[in-house]
Amino acid sequence: MNNNKASEVGATLLEIGDILMGSGANTMRIRETMTRIAHSLGYNIELMITHRALSISLSNKDGDFVFSKIKRISPHGVNFRAISAICHMSWNALDEKWSLEKINNEIARIKKLAHYPRLVLLVLVAFADAGFCHNFGGGWKELLVTGIATFVGMTVKQEFGKRHYNPYICVYIAAFVASLLASCSYLLPVEMCNAKAIATSVLFLVPGVPLINSITDLVQGNIQNGVFRGINAFIICFALACGLFTTALIFNQNLL
Amino acid sequence: MIDILLKLLGNGTWAGIAAIGFSIIFNVPKRTLTPIFFLAFCGTFTKFLAMNVGFGIIVSSFFGAIVVGCLTLYVARHFYTPPLIVSIPGVIPMVPGIFIYNFILGLFNLGSGNISDDPKIGNFIFFTTNNGLKAFFIVMGLAIGVAIPMLLTRKESIRGIEHHKSLGSNKKKHLKKQIQ
Repeated sequence: MNNNKASEVGATLLEIGDILMGSGANTMRIRETMTRIAHSLGYNIELMITHRALSISLSNKDGDFVFSKIKRISPHGVNFRAISAICHMSWNALDEKWSLEKINNEIARIKKLAHYPRLVLLVLVAFADAGFCHNFGGGWKELLVTGIATFVGMTVKQEFGKRHYNPYICVYIAAFVASLLASCSYLLPVEMCNAKAIATSVLFLVPGVPLINSITDLVQGNIQNGVFRGINAFIICFALACGLFTTALIFNQNLL
Repeated sequence: MIDILLKLLGNGTWAGIAAIGFSIIFNVPKRTLTPIFFLAFCGTFTKFLAMNVGFGIIVSSFFGAIVVGCLTLYVARHFYTPPLIVSIPGVIPMVPGIFIYNFILGLFNLGSGNISDDPKIGNFIFFTTNNGLKAFFIVMGLAIGVAIPMLLTRKESIRGIEHHKSLGSNKKKHLKKQIQ
């Protein structure tokens, strides 16, 4: 009976860790949150957190080992709303002594949390890249080109993502399409600084969260995870640069 | 003088818009969108101000990140959110995307072999390493700059402070209401 409860608690904790890791929380926060919830349910927990798998070992208050399990982490894409909700839940569970069932219900709710509407996302991302272009010294014409290229690039990325292509391939194709569109501005009879528009039209693909999480993990002593995340970010940047390079070959431009 | 100020304000505003765009991709809670805009605005404003004063881009980005980190302490408490949810979008406009892919394009060029007898090979090597190191140090500066205020105040988590200070107080109940 006791072991049954421990295995349910273990499954819940792994689920929480899976959501946090998949949504882009740093290692320290995952460890703290899972420990907090385990304590609120009356267990001590030891954790091993890696980029693609989680391993936990539960013991009861007397220090007797009760349960151990490993779970593979499924990458869902960055989702801060889920991280925020889980952190609130962990504190509330500790304060108000939530039961396991209540926690499970909350997790089910968190998994269904809404995303922003697609059109809103695309338009705002286009504006975001236009913002980058402005800060790199672009004028209104460059801003417009960058915005349109980003809009189409992001659409392409989402479509390929939906069809479960390799994430790096998605980035490569999105970078290629966005920079190709931006390069088409060479064909327009308008005087403008095309290089700036091309360079900034792919910036929406730069993996900001993995990069910053990588350094955060390294600084906090989670060296292994920090290195993994850093290399992941590097490969994304590599795919991005390949997309840009392909466009440069087509238009026979030297980007440097 | 006023020209420069206006230019900095423009840069800050566009950085805020960029931060909002990225927060939408990251699916942040709606109540944090306004603070994220202001964090990014203040951070980027500080960065460009420092660059105008004469600091390099690495140190300037670091200053910007420190400003974002300090404001995050306040925002995380008053908008009731884990710090990383506002601090990461806040520094995203300062992430050195162009340096990173310039670095990788430089690597392509170095590896392609058409430039081995080019007298300007030194320039290529300098360009590549310069961009790569700049990107690395800026990202490092951003991550550490955001964390510094938290490290100095020795707070692991904003909610932790509230938790220890005011167990069962009215303020907490009020905050809880705000979320739901």
